[in-house]
Amino acid sequence: MSQSTLSPGVTPVSFGGAFANDESERARFVSAQRRLAWRKRLLPVVAIAGLIALWGAVVAIFDVQPFIAPSPWAVASVLVEKADILLANLVPTATEALLGFLLGNLVAIVIATAFVYSKAAEEAFFPVAVMINTIPVVAKAPILVLLLGNGMEPKIAIAALICFFPTLVNMTRGLRDVNPQALELMKVLSASPREIFWKLRVRNSLPYLFSALKIAASMSVIGAIVGEWIGSTSGIGALIIQATYNFDSPLLYATIVVGSTFSAVFFSVISMLERRLLKWNTARAN
Amino acid sequence: MLNTMSFSAQIPLSLAASAVPAVECQGVTVRFTTERGTVTALENIDLTVPQGSFLSLLGPSGCGKSTLLRVVADLIAPTSGIVRVNGEAPEVARQNREIGFVFQDAALLPWRTALENVLLPLEVGGGARRSNNRDPRELLALVGLSGWEDAYPHELSGGMRQRVSIARALVSGPKLLLMDEPFGALDEITRDRLNEELLQVWESTGTTILFVTHSIYEAAFLGQEVLLLAARPGRVRELVDVNLPSPRRLPQRETAEFVELAGHLRRVLETC
Repeated sequence: MSQSTLSPGVTPVSFGGAFANDESERARFVSAQRRLAWRKRLLPVVAIAGLIALWGAVVAIFDVQPFIAPSPWAVASVLVEKADILLANLVPTATEALLGFLLGNLVAIVIATAFVYSKAAEEAFFPVAVMINTIPVVAKAPILVLLLGNGMEPKIAIAALICFFPTLVNMTRGLRDVNPQALELMKVLSASPREIFWKLRVRNSLPYLFSALKIAASMSVIGAIVGEWIGSTSGIGALIIQATYNFDSPLLYATIVVGSTFSAVFFSVISMLERRLLKWNTARAN
Repeated sequence: MLNTMSFSAQIPLSLAASAVPAVECQGVTVRFTTERGTVTALENIDLTVPQGSFLSLLGPSGCGKSTLLRVVADLIAPTSGIVRVNGEAPEVARQNREIGFVFQDAALLPWRTALENVLLPLEVGGGARRSNNRDPRELLALVGLSGWEDAYPHELSGGMRQRVSIARALVSGPKLLLMDEPFGALDEITRDRLNEELLQVWESTGTTILFVTHSIYEAAFLGQEVLLLAARPGRVRELVDVNLPSPRRLPQRETAEFVELAGHLRRVLETC
Protein backbone atom coordinates (compact mmCIF):
# COMPACT_ATOMS: atom_id res chain seq x y z
CA MET A 1 0.00 0.00 0.00
CA SER A 2 2.67 2.46 1.03
CA GLN A 3 5.09 1.79 -1.79
CA SER A 4 5.83 4.71 -4.00
CA THR A 5 8.54 5.21 -6.55
CA LEU A 6 10.49 8.37 -5.91
CA SER A 7 12.29 9.72 -8.90
CA PRO A 8 15.32 11.99 -8.52
CA GLY A 9 14.51 15.63 -8.21
CA VAL A 10 11.31 15.02 -6.30
CA THR A 11 11.24 17.05 -3.14
CA PRO A 12 11.24 14.63 -0.27
CA VAL A 13 7.98 14.69 1.60
CA SER A 14 7.35 13.03 4.89
CA PHE A 15 6.19 9.59 3.97
CA GLY A 16 5.16 8.56 7.44
CA GLY A 17 7.85 5.93 7.87
CA ALA A 18 6.99 4.25 4.60
CA PHE A 19 10.66 3.82 3.72
CA ALA A 20 13.22 1.79 5.61
CA ASN A 21 16.18 3.77 6.91
CA ASP A 22 18.98 2.07 5.05
CA GLU A 23 21.55 4.87 5.04
CA SER A 24 24.37 3.19 3.09
CA GLU A 25 22.03 1.95 0.36
CA ARG A 26 20.53 5.41 0.12
CA ALA A 27 23.95 7.08 -0.08
CA ARG A 28 24.93 4.75 -2.91
CA PHE A 29 21.71 5.56 -4.76
CA VAL A 30 22.23 9.30 -4.33
CA SER A 31 25.84 9.21 -5.56
CA ALA A 32 24.81 7.14 -8.59
CA GLN A 33 22.15 9.73 -9.36
CA ARG A 34 24.71 12.52 -9.01
CA ARG A 35 27.07 10.76 -11.42
CA LEU A 36 24.27 10.47 -13.98
CA ALA A 37 23.42 14.16 -13.58
CA TRP A 38 27.03 15.18 -14.17
CA ARG A 39 27.28 12.95 -17.20
CA LYS A 40 24.16 14.61 -18.60
CA ARG A 41 25.78 18.01 -18.17
CA LEU A 42 29.30 17.13 -19.35
CA LEU A 43 28.58 15.00 -22.41
CA PRO A 44 27.08 17.82 -24.52
CA VAL A 45 30.03 20.07 -23.61
CA VAL A 46 32.47 17.37 -24.68
CA ALA A 47 30.53 16.78 -27.91
CA ILE A 48 30.46 20.49 -28.82
CA ALA A 49 34.17 20.92 -28.02
CA GLY A 50 34.91 17.89 -30.19
CA LEU A 51 32.95 19.26 -33.14
CA ILE A 52 34.68 22.65 -32.90
CA ALA A 53 38.06 20.92 -32.83
CA LEU A 54 37.06 18.85 -35.89
CA TRP A 55 35.97 22.01 -37.68
CA GLY A 56 39.31 23.69 -36.89
CA ALA A 57 41.20 20.62 -38.07
CA VAL A 58 39.29 20.44 -41.39
CA VAL A 59 39.90 24.14 -42.09
CA ALA A 60 43.60 23.79 -41.30
CA ILE A 61 44.24 20.48 -43.11
CA PHE A 62 42.40 21.35 -46.33
CA ASP A 63 43.57 24.98 -46.22
CA VAL A 64 40.04 26.37 -46.65
CA GLN A 65 39.96 30.04 -47.65
CA PRO A 66 38.79 32.31 -44.79
CA PHE A 67 35.93 33.82 -46.88
CA ILE A 68 34.55 30.34 -47.58
CA ALA A 69 34.76 29.07 -44.01
CA PRO A 70 36.67 30.69 -41.17
CA SER A 71 38.58 28.78 -38.54
CA PRO A 72 37.02 28.62 -35.08
CA TRP A 73 39.86 30.79 -33.77
CA ALA A 74 39.10 33.54 -36.31
CA VAL A 75 35.47 33.46 -35.22
CA ALA A 76 36.50 33.57 -31.57
CA SER A 77 38.72 36.57 -32.09
CA VAL A 78 35.93 38.44 -33.94
CA LEU A 79 33.61 37.61 -31.03
CA VAL A 80 36.07 39.34 -28.70
CA GLU A 81 37.16 42.24 -30.93
CA LYS A 82 33.74 43.17 -32.23
CA ALA A 83 31.83 42.37 -29.07
CA ASP A 84 30.45 45.92 -28.89
CA ILE A 85 29.07 45.82 -32.46
CA LEU A 86 27.64 42.35 -31.97
CA LEU A 87 25.91 43.24 -28.71
CA ALA A 88 24.63 46.54 -30.10
CA ASN A 89 22.99 44.56 -32.90
CA LEU A 90 21.67 41.91 -30.55
CA VAL A 91 19.64 44.48 -28.60
CA PRO A 92 17.08 45.28 -31.36
CA THR A 93 16.80 41.61 -32.36
CA ALA A 94 16.29 40.50 -28.78
CA THR A 95 13.71 43.24 -28.20
CA GLU A 96 11.79 42.26 -31.32
CA ALA A 97 11.95 38.57 -30.44
CA LEU A 98 10.77 39.12 -26.86
CA LEU A 99 7.96 41.49 -27.81
CA GLY A 100 6.90 39.19 -30.65
CA PHE A 101 7.02 36.23 -28.26
CA LEU A 102 4.80 38.01 -25.75
CA LEU A 103 2.37 39.30 -28.35
CA GLY A 104 2.09 36.06 -30.34
CA ASN A 105 1.60 33.88 -27.29
CA LEU A 106 -0.83 36.25 -25.63
CA VAL A 107 -3.03 36.41 -28.73
CA ALA A 108 -2.78 32.63 -29.15
CA ILE A 109 -3.85 32.05 -25.53
CA VAL A 110 -6.81 34.42 -25.86
CA ILE A 111 -7.95 32.81 -29.12
CA ALA A 112 -7.47 29.30 -27.72
CA THR A 113 -9.72 30.28 -24.81
CA ALA A 114 -12.33 31.53 -27.27
CA PHE A 115 -12.06 28.26 -29.23
CA VAL A 116 -12.66 26.20 -26.10
CA TYR A 117 -15.84 28.07 -25.26
CA SER A 118 -17.12 28.45 -28.82
CA LYS A 119 -16.88 25.54 -31.21
CA ALA A 120 -18.24 27.85 -33.94
CA ALA A 121 -15.31 30.24 -33.48
CA GLU A 122 -12.90 27.35 -33.84
CA GLU A 123 -14.63 25.99 -36.93
CA ALA A 124 -14.52 29.46 -38.52
CA PHE A 125 -11.04 30.60 -37.62
CA PHE A 126 -8.87 27.52 -37.19
CA PRO A 127 -8.60 26.94 -40.97
CA VAL A 128 -7.58 30.62 -41.31
CA ALA A 129 -4.85 30.11 -38.73
CA VAL A 130 -3.64 27.02 -40.59
CA MET A 131 -3.55 28.96 -43.88
CA ILE A 132 -1.52 31.80 -42.37
CA ASN A 133 0.80 29.24 -40.88
CA THR A 134 1.45 27.66 -44.29
CA ILE A 135 2.89 30.93 -45.66
CA PRO A 136 6.69 30.66 -45.40
CA VAL A 137 8.34 33.19 -43.06
CA VAL A 138 10.46 34.58 -45.89
CA ALA A 139 7.23 35.34 -47.78
CA LYS A 140 5.49 36.85 -44.76
CA ALA A 141 8.40 39.21 -44.11
CA PRO A 142 8.12 41.44 -47.23
CA ILE A 143 4.34 41.59 -46.89
CA LEU A 144 4.60 42.79 -43.31
CA VAL A 145 7.37 45.26 -44.10
CA LEU A 146 5.12 46.76 -46.78
CA LEU A 147 2.21 46.88 -44.35
CA LEU A 148 4.00 48.04 -41.21
CA GLY A 149 6.96 50.08 -42.48
CA ASN A 150 10.62 49.70 -41.81
CA GLY A 151 10.77 49.98 -38.02
CA MET A 152 10.59 47.29 -35.37
CA GLU A 153 6.88 46.64 -35.93
CA PRO A 154 7.12 44.22 -38.88
CA LYS A 155 9.84 42.22 -37.11
CA ILE A 156 7.75 41.98 -33.96
CA ALA A 157 4.80 40.93 -36.11
CA ILE A 158 6.81 38.18 -37.80
CA ALA A 159 8.14 36.88 -34.49
CA ALA A 160 4.59 36.96 -33.12
CA LEU A 161 3.14 35.12 -36.12
CA ILE A 162 5.76 32.42 -35.84
CA CYS A 163 5.03 31.87 -32.11
CA PHE A 164 1.30 32.05 -32.57
CA PHE A 165 0.51 28.74 -34.20
CA PRO A 166 2.21 26.18 -31.93
CA THR A 167 0.80 27.94 -28.89
CA LEU A 168 -2.70 28.12 -30.37
CA VAL A 169 -2.76 24.40 -31.13
CA ASN A 170 -1.25 23.32 -27.81
CA MET A 171 -3.22 25.71 -25.66
CA THR A 172 -6.54 24.75 -27.26
CA ARG A 173 -5.76 21.14 -26.56
CA GLY A 174 -4.57 21.81 -23.01
CA LEU A 175 -7.67 23.80 -22.11
CA ARG A 176 -9.96 21.24 -23.67
CA ASP A 177 -8.42 17.87 -22.76
CA VAL A 178 -9.48 17.93 -19.14
CA ASN A 179 -10.20 14.66 -17.35
CA PRO A 180 -13.98 14.26 -17.90
CA GLN A 181 -14.39 12.97 -14.35
CA ALA A 182 -12.66 16.10 -13.03
CA LEU A 183 -15.25 18.13 -14.96
CA GLU A 184 -18.05 16.06 -13.44
CA LEU A 185 -16.47 16.62 -10.03
CA MET A 186 -16.55 20.38 -10.59
CA LYS A 187 -20.21 20.12 -11.49
CA VAL A 188 -21.01 18.07 -8.39
CA LEU A 189 -19.25 20.82 -6.43
CA SER A 190 -21.41 23.46 -8.18
CA ALA A 191 -18.26 25.25 -9.33
CA SER A 192 -18.83 28.39 -11.40
CA PRO A 193 -17.58 28.55 -15.02
CA ARG A 194 -14.88 30.96 -13.82
CA GLU A 195 -13.70 28.49 -11.17
CA ILE A 196 -13.70 25.65 -13.70
CA PHE A 197 -11.61 27.78 -16.03
CA TRP A 198 -8.97 28.92 -13.53
CA LYS A 199 -8.80 25.93 -11.22
CA LEU A 200 -9.14 23.19 -13.82
CA ARG A 201 -8.67 24.22 -17.45
CA VAL A 202 -5.84 26.72 -17.03
CA ARG A 203 -3.89 24.48 -14.66
CA ASN A 204 -4.42 21.55 -16.98
CA SER A 205 -3.16 23.54 -19.98
CA LEU A 206 0.13 24.69 -18.43
CA PRO A 207 2.23 21.66 -19.43
CA TYR A 208 0.88 21.99 -22.99
CA LEU A 209 1.54 25.73 -22.95
CA PHE A 210 5.14 25.30 -21.84
CA SER A 211 5.81 22.76 -24.59
CA ALA A 212 4.67 25.42 -27.06
CA LEU A 213 6.57 28.23 -25.33
CA LYS A 214 9.82 26.29 -25.60
CA ILE A 215 9.31 26.00 -29.36
CA ALA A 216 8.23 29.63 -29.55
CA ALA A 217 11.29 30.89 -27.66
CA SER A 218 13.72 29.88 -30.40
CA MET A 219 11.25 30.45 -33.22
CA SER A 220 10.68 34.07 -32.20
CA VAL A 221 14.41 34.82 -32.55
CA ILE A 222 14.41 33.24 -36.00
CA GLY A 223 11.37 35.35 -36.91
CA ALA A 224 13.03 38.58 -35.81
CA ILE A 225 16.24 37.75 -37.71
CA VAL A 226 14.37 36.91 -40.92
CA GLY A 227 12.40 40.15 -40.53
CA GLU A 228 15.65 42.08 -40.39
CA TRP A 229 16.81 40.68 -43.71
CA ILE A 230 14.56 43.06 -45.53
CA GLY A 231 15.72 46.68 -45.54
CA SER A 232 17.01 46.77 -41.99
CA THR A 233 20.17 48.59 -40.89
CA SER A 234 20.59 47.12 -37.46
CA GLY A 235 20.03 43.79 -35.77
CA ILE A 236 21.50 40.30 -36.03
CA GLY A 237 19.65 39.76 -39.33
CA ALA A 238 21.04 42.95 -40.86
CA LEU A 239 24.52 42.02 -39.68
CA ILE A 240 24.20 38.59 -41.30
CA ILE A 241 23.29 40.17 -44.65
CA GLN A 242 26.07 42.75 -44.35
CA ALA A 243 28.73 40.18 -43.46
CA THR A 244 27.62 37.92 -46.31
CA TYR A 245 27.87 40.72 -48.90
CA ASN A 246 31.33 41.67 -47.62
CA PHE A 247 32.55 38.07 -47.66
CA ASP A 248 33.37 38.65 -43.99
CA SER A 249 32.69 35.08 -42.96
CA PRO A 250 34.31 35.30 -39.50
CA LEU A 251 31.83 38.11 -38.67
CA LEU A 252 28.99 36.10 -40.23
CA TYR A 253 29.78 33.11 -38.04
CA ALA A 254 30.26 35.27 -34.97
CA THR A 255 26.86 36.87 -35.58
CA ILE A 256 25.26 33.45 -35.82
CA VAL A 257 26.95 32.41 -32.57
CA VAL A 258 25.54 35.48 -30.81
CA GLY A 259 22.03 34.92 -32.19
CA SER A 260 22.05 31.21 -31.31
CA THR A 261 23.40 31.87 -27.83
CA PHE A 262 20.58 34.30 -27.21
CA SER A 263 18.07 31.71 -28.48
CA ALA A 264 19.55 29.07 -26.21
CA VAL A 265 19.44 31.36 -23.18
CA PHE A 266 15.82 32.27 -23.95
CA PHE A 267 14.96 28.56 -24.23
CA SER A 268 16.73 27.79 -20.95
CA VAL A 269 14.86 30.53 -19.12
CA ILE A 270 11.54 29.08 -20.28
CA SER A 271 12.65 25.56 -19.32
CA MET A 272 13.67 26.81 -15.90
CA LEU A 273 10.33 28.53 -15.43
CA GLU A 274 8.61 25.31 -16.44
CA ARG A 275 10.56 23.26 -13.92
CA ARG A 276 9.81 25.76 -11.21
CA LEU A 277 6.11 26.23 -11.95
CA LEU A 278 5.28 22.67 -12.95
CA LYS A 279 7.18 20.67 -10.37
CA TRP A 280 4.36 18.15 -10.19
CA ASN A 281 4.52 17.56 -13.93
CA THR A 282 8.28 17.35 -14.47
CA ALA A 283 8.54 14.95 -11.54
CA ARG A 284 5.76 12.85 -13.04
CA ALA A 285 7.39 12.83 -16.48
CA ASN A 286 10.67 11.54 -15.04
CA MET B 1 -3.56 2.09 9.14
CA LEU B 2 -6.78 0.54 10.31
CA ASN B 3 -6.26 1.91 13.78
CA THR B 4 -6.41 5.48 12.60
CA MET B 5 -10.13 5.15 12.01
CA SER B 6 -11.24 6.72 15.22
CA PHE B 7 -13.14 9.93 15.37
CA SER B 8 -16.40 11.07 16.77
CA ALA B 9 -19.29 11.07 14.35
CA GLN B 10 -21.34 14.19 14.05
CA ILE B 11 -24.66 13.03 12.75
CA PRO B 12 -27.42 15.57 13.08
CA LEU B 13 -30.07 13.88 15.20
CA SER B 14 -32.92 15.39 13.24
CA LEU B 15 -31.58 13.66 10.15
CA ALA B 16 -31.23 10.23 11.72
CA ALA B 17 -34.79 10.41 12.97
CA SER B 18 -36.21 11.90 9.81
CA ALA B 19 -38.47 9.77 7.68
CA VAL B 20 -37.45 11.51 4.46
CA PRO B 21 -35.56 8.95 2.36
CA ALA B 22 -32.00 9.82 1.30
CA VAL B 23 -32.83 8.96 -2.30
CA GLU B 24 -36.17 8.43 -3.96
CA CYS B 25 -36.66 7.55 -7.61
CA GLN B 26 -40.07 7.21 -9.25
CA GLY B 27 -40.33 5.92 -12.78
CA VAL B 28 -36.90 7.24 -13.74
CA THR B 29 -36.13 6.71 -17.41
CA VAL B 30 -33.02 7.89 -19.22
CA ARG B 31 -32.64 7.74 -22.98
CA PHE B 32 -29.65 8.80 -25.05
CA THR B 33 -29.79 9.49 -28.75
CA THR B 34 -26.71 8.38 -30.63
CA GLU B 35 -25.82 7.82 -34.28
CA ARG B 36 -27.09 4.27 -34.04
CA GLY B 37 -30.41 5.32 -32.60
CA THR B 38 -31.94 5.79 -29.20
CA VAL B 39 -30.52 3.83 -26.28
CA THR B 40 -32.58 3.35 -23.16
CA ALA B 41 -30.02 3.42 -20.37
CA LEU B 42 -32.57 3.23 -17.57
CA GLU B 43 -36.20 2.23 -17.77
CA ASN B 44 -38.79 2.99 -15.13
CA ILE B 45 -36.58 2.78 -12.04
CA ASP B 46 -38.38 2.92 -8.70
CA LEU B 47 -36.12 3.09 -5.70
CA THR B 48 -36.19 4.26 -2.10
CA VAL B 49 -32.96 4.47 -0.10
CA PRO B 50 -33.45 5.17 3.63
CA GLN B 51 -31.23 7.62 5.46
CA GLY B 52 -27.96 6.18 6.70
CA SER B 53 -28.17 2.97 4.70
CA PHE B 54 -25.62 1.36 2.41
CA LEU B 55 -26.96 0.22 -0.96
CA SER B 56 -24.88 -1.67 -3.48
CA LEU B 57 -25.80 -1.34 -7.15
CA LEU B 58 -24.78 -4.48 -9.01
CA GLY B 59 -25.25 -5.43 -12.61
CA PRO B 60 -23.56 -6.33 -15.89
CA SER B 61 -21.90 -3.57 -17.89
CA GLY B 62 -24.44 -1.54 -19.78
CA CYS B 63 -27.10 -1.92 -17.10
CA GLY B 64 -27.02 1.80 -16.38
CA LYS B 65 -25.77 1.66 -12.79
CA SER B 66 -23.36 4.54 -13.35
CA THR B 67 -26.09 6.43 -15.17
CA LEU B 68 -28.40 6.00 -12.17
CA LEU B 69 -25.70 7.40 -9.89
CA ARG B 70 -25.26 10.38 -12.21
CA VAL B 71 -28.99 11.04 -12.28
CA VAL B 72 -29.00 11.16 -8.47
CA ALA B 73 -25.96 13.48 -8.52
CA ASP B 74 -27.66 15.84 -11.00
CA LEU B 75 -24.98 15.15 -13.60
CA ILE B 76 -27.58 13.70 -15.99
CA ALA B 77 -31.18 14.85 -16.21
CA PRO B 78 -33.65 11.97 -16.46
CA THR B 79 -35.76 11.82 -19.62
CA SER B 80 -38.79 11.22 -17.42
CA GLY B 81 -39.55 10.38 -13.81
CA ILE B 82 -38.93 12.02 -10.47
CA VAL B 83 -35.75 11.97 -8.40
CA ARG B 84 -35.53 13.29 -4.83
CA VAL B 85 -32.45 13.57 -2.67
CA ASN B 86 -33.26 14.19 0.99
CA GLY B 87 -36.71 15.24 -0.20
CA GLU B 88 -35.34 17.90 -2.55
CA ALA B 89 -34.57 18.08 -6.25
CA PRO B 90 -31.05 16.69 -6.95
CA GLU B 91 -30.01 20.14 -8.16
CA VAL B 92 -30.86 21.68 -4.79
CA ALA B 93 -29.14 18.87 -2.91
CA ARG B 94 -26.04 19.33 -5.07
CA GLN B 95 -25.97 23.07 -4.50
CA ASN B 96 -26.35 22.51 -0.76
CA ARG B 97 -23.38 20.14 -0.83
CA GLU B 98 -25.44 17.22 0.37
CA ILE B 99 -23.88 14.93 -2.23
CA GLY B 100 -20.33 13.59 -2.34
CA PHE B 101 -19.13 11.72 -5.42
CA VAL B 102 -16.24 9.28 -5.68
CA PHE B 103 -15.16 8.56 -9.25
CA GLN B 104 -13.75 5.40 -10.73
CA ASP B 105 -10.29 6.83 -11.47
CA ALA B 106 -10.09 8.99 -8.31
CA ALA B 107 -10.03 12.12 -10.53
CA LEU B 108 -7.45 13.88 -8.40
CA LEU B 109 -5.98 17.06 -9.83
CA PRO B 110 -2.34 16.09 -10.52
CA TRP B 111 -0.99 19.57 -9.74
CA ARG B 112 -2.41 19.51 -6.23
CA THR B 113 -1.02 17.67 -3.24
CA ALA B 114 -3.21 15.21 -1.36
CA LEU B 115 -4.23 17.91 1.13
CA GLU B 116 -4.87 20.48 -1.60
CA ASN B 117 -7.06 17.97 -3.42
CA VAL B 118 -9.12 17.43 -0.29
CA LEU B 119 -9.39 21.22 0.07
CA LEU B 120 -10.77 21.70 -3.47
CA PRO B 121 -14.47 21.41 -2.51
CA LEU B 122 -13.95 24.21 0.02
CA GLU B 123 -12.45 26.49 -2.64
CA VAL B 124 -15.14 26.27 -5.30
CA GLY B 125 -18.90 26.64 -5.50
CA GLY B 126 -19.06 28.64 -2.28
CA GLY B 127 -17.86 25.57 -0.38
CA ALA B 128 -15.98 27.56 2.27
CA ARG B 129 -19.20 29.00 3.71
CA ARG B 130 -20.83 25.68 4.58
CA SER B 131 -21.32 24.80 8.20
CA ASN B 132 -20.93 21.06 7.70
CA ASN B 133 -17.32 21.34 6.51
CA ARG B 134 -14.86 18.99 8.14
CA ASP B 135 -11.18 19.29 8.91
CA PRO B 136 -9.28 18.06 5.80
CA ARG B 137 -6.30 16.82 7.83
CA GLU B 138 -8.60 14.87 10.09
CA LEU B 139 -10.24 13.28 7.05
CA LEU B 140 -6.89 12.29 5.57
CA ALA B 141 -6.12 10.66 8.90
CA LEU B 142 -9.52 8.95 8.79
CA VAL B 143 -8.62 7.33 5.46
CA GLY B 144 -5.19 6.34 6.80
CA LEU B 145 -3.10 8.95 5.05
CA SER B 146 -1.59 10.99 7.89
CA GLY B 147 1.89 12.00 6.84
CA TRP B 148 1.03 12.00 3.13
CA GLU B 149 -0.59 15.46 3.05
CA ASP B 150 2.12 16.98 0.85
CA ALA B 151 2.47 14.08 -1.60
CA TYR B 152 1.38 14.62 -5.18
CA PRO B 153 -1.00 12.10 -6.79
CA HIS B 154 1.79 10.63 -8.95
CA GLU B 155 3.64 9.76 -5.75
CA LEU B 156 0.67 7.79 -4.42
CA SER B 157 -0.44 4.27 -5.24
CA GLY B 158 -3.84 3.65 -6.83
CA GLY B 159 -5.37 2.71 -3.48
CA MET B 160 -3.99 5.81 -1.79
CA ARG B 161 -5.30 8.04 -4.56
CA GLN B 162 -8.75 6.58 -4.06
CA ARG B 163 -8.45 7.19 -0.28
CA VAL B 164 -7.68 10.85 -1.02
CA SER B 165 -10.71 11.06 -3.26
CA ILE B 166 -12.90 9.58 -0.50
CA ALA B 167 -11.56 12.20 1.93
CA ARG B 168 -12.32 14.87 -0.67
CA ALA B 169 -15.89 13.61 -1.09
CA LEU B 170 -16.40 13.77 2.69
CA VAL B 171 -14.93 17.23 3.30
CA SER B 172 -18.21 19.08 2.78
CA GLY B 173 -19.91 16.72 5.22
CA PRO B 174 -22.36 15.25 2.67
CA LYS B 175 -25.39 13.28 3.76
CA LEU B 176 -25.16 11.13 0.66
CA LEU B 177 -22.05 9.55 -0.79
CA LEU B 178 -22.21 8.24 -4.36
CA MET B 179 -19.42 5.88 -5.34
CA ASP B 180 -18.92 4.78 -8.95
CA GLU B 181 -16.84 1.59 -8.99
CA PRO B 182 -14.22 3.32 -6.84
CA PHE B 183 -12.11 0.22 -6.23
CA GLY B 184 -12.58 -1.38 -9.67
CA ALA B 185 -9.04 -0.67 -10.84
CA LEU B 186 -7.31 -1.81 -7.65
CA ASP B 187 -5.65 -5.11 -6.87
CA GLU B 188 -7.71 -7.53 -4.80
CA ILE B 189 -5.80 -7.15 -1.53
CA THR B 190 -6.02 -3.35 -1.62
CA ARG B 191 -9.67 -3.60 -2.59
CA ASP B 192 -10.45 -5.89 0.35
CA ARG B 193 -8.73 -3.57 2.78
CA LEU B 194 -10.48 -0.51 1.38
CA ASN B 195 -13.82 -2.31 1.55
CA GLU B 196 -13.39 -2.90 5.24
CA GLU B 197 -12.17 0.64 5.84
CA LEU B 198 -15.06 2.09 3.85
CA LEU B 199 -17.50 0.31 6.16
CA GLN B 200 -15.77 1.92 9.11
CA VAL B 201 -15.99 5.33 7.47
CA TRP B 202 -19.67 4.67 6.84
CA GLU B 203 -20.26 3.61 10.45
CA SER B 204 -18.43 6.62 11.83
CA THR B 205 -19.99 9.26 9.56
CA GLY B 206 -23.54 7.96 9.27
CA THR B 207 -23.55 8.97 5.61
CA THR B 208 -25.89 7.20 3.21
CA ILE B 209 -23.84 5.39 0.57
CA LEU B 210 -24.80 4.27 -2.93
CA PHE B 211 -22.04 2.04 -4.21
CA VAL B 212 -21.80 0.93 -7.83
CA THR B 213 -19.75 -2.18 -8.49
CA HIS B 214 -19.59 -5.17 -10.78
CA SER B 215 -18.05 -7.37 -8.15
CA ILE B 216 -20.53 -9.72 -6.51
CA TYR B 217 -18.40 -10.10 -3.39
CA GLU B 218 -17.92 -6.38 -2.98
CA ALA B 219 -21.64 -5.71 -3.42
CA ALA B 220 -22.64 -8.36 -0.88
CA PHE B 221 -19.93 -7.54 1.65
CA LEU B 222 -20.62 -3.81 1.69
CA GLY B 223 -24.33 -3.38 1.16
CA GLN B 224 -27.20 -3.71 3.55
CA GLU B 225 -29.13 -4.28 0.39
CA VAL B 226 -28.01 -5.11 -3.13
CA LEU B 227 -29.95 -3.67 -6.04
CA LEU B 228 -29.53 -5.97 -9.02
CA LEU B 229 -29.95 -4.24 -12.35
CA ALA B 230 -30.52 -5.93 -15.70
CA ALA B 231 -29.09 -4.55 -18.94
CA ARG B 232 -30.59 -3.28 -22.18
CA PRO B 233 -32.65 -1.52 -21.04
CA GLY B 234 -31.34 -0.91 -17.54
CA ARG B 235 -34.05 -1.91 -15.10
CA VAL B 236 -34.41 -3.19 -11.55
CA ARG B 237 -34.12 -6.93 -11.49
CA GLU B 238 -34.23 -7.65 -7.80
CA LEU B 239 -33.58 -5.94 -4.47
CA VAL B 240 -31.72 -8.43 -2.28
CA ASP B 241 -31.60 -7.97 1.46
CA VAL B 242 -28.16 -8.75 2.92
CA ASN B 243 -28.63 -10.33 6.33
CA LEU B 244 -25.10 -10.35 7.61
CA PRO B 245 -24.21 -9.34 11.17
CA SER B 246 -22.42 -6.05 11.58
CA PRO B 247 -19.80 -4.81 12.03
CA ARG B 248 -18.73 -6.70 8.96
CA ARG B 249 -15.20 -8.00 8.74
CA LEU B 250 -13.48 -9.76 5.87
CA PRO B 251 -13.54 -13.33 7.34
CA GLN B 252 -17.34 -13.17 7.17
CA ARG B 253 -17.04 -13.69 3.46
CA GLU B 254 -16.18 -17.32 4.18
CA THR B 255 -19.34 -18.05 6.16
CA ALA B 256 -22.02 -20.30 4.66
CA GLU B 257 -24.54 -17.43 4.66
CA PHE B 258 -22.25 -15.22 2.63
CA VAL B 259 -21.37 -17.94 0.13
CA GLU B 260 -25.05 -18.72 -0.32
CA LEU B 261 -25.88 -15.05 -0.82
CA ALA B 262 -23.08 -14.60 -3.36
CA GLY B 263 -24.31 -17.70 -5.16
CA HIS B 264 -27.82 -16.30 -5.35
CA LEU B 265 -26.54 -12.97 -6.69
CA ARG B 266 -24.47 -14.79 -9.29
CA ARG B 267 -27.41 -16.89 -10.48
CA VAL B 268 -29.63 -13.83 -10.83
CA LEU B 269 -26.83 -11.90 -12.52
CA GLU B 270 -26.42 -14.65 -15.11
CA THR B 271 -29.98 -14.07 -16.28
CA CYS B 272 -29.61 -10.27 -16.42
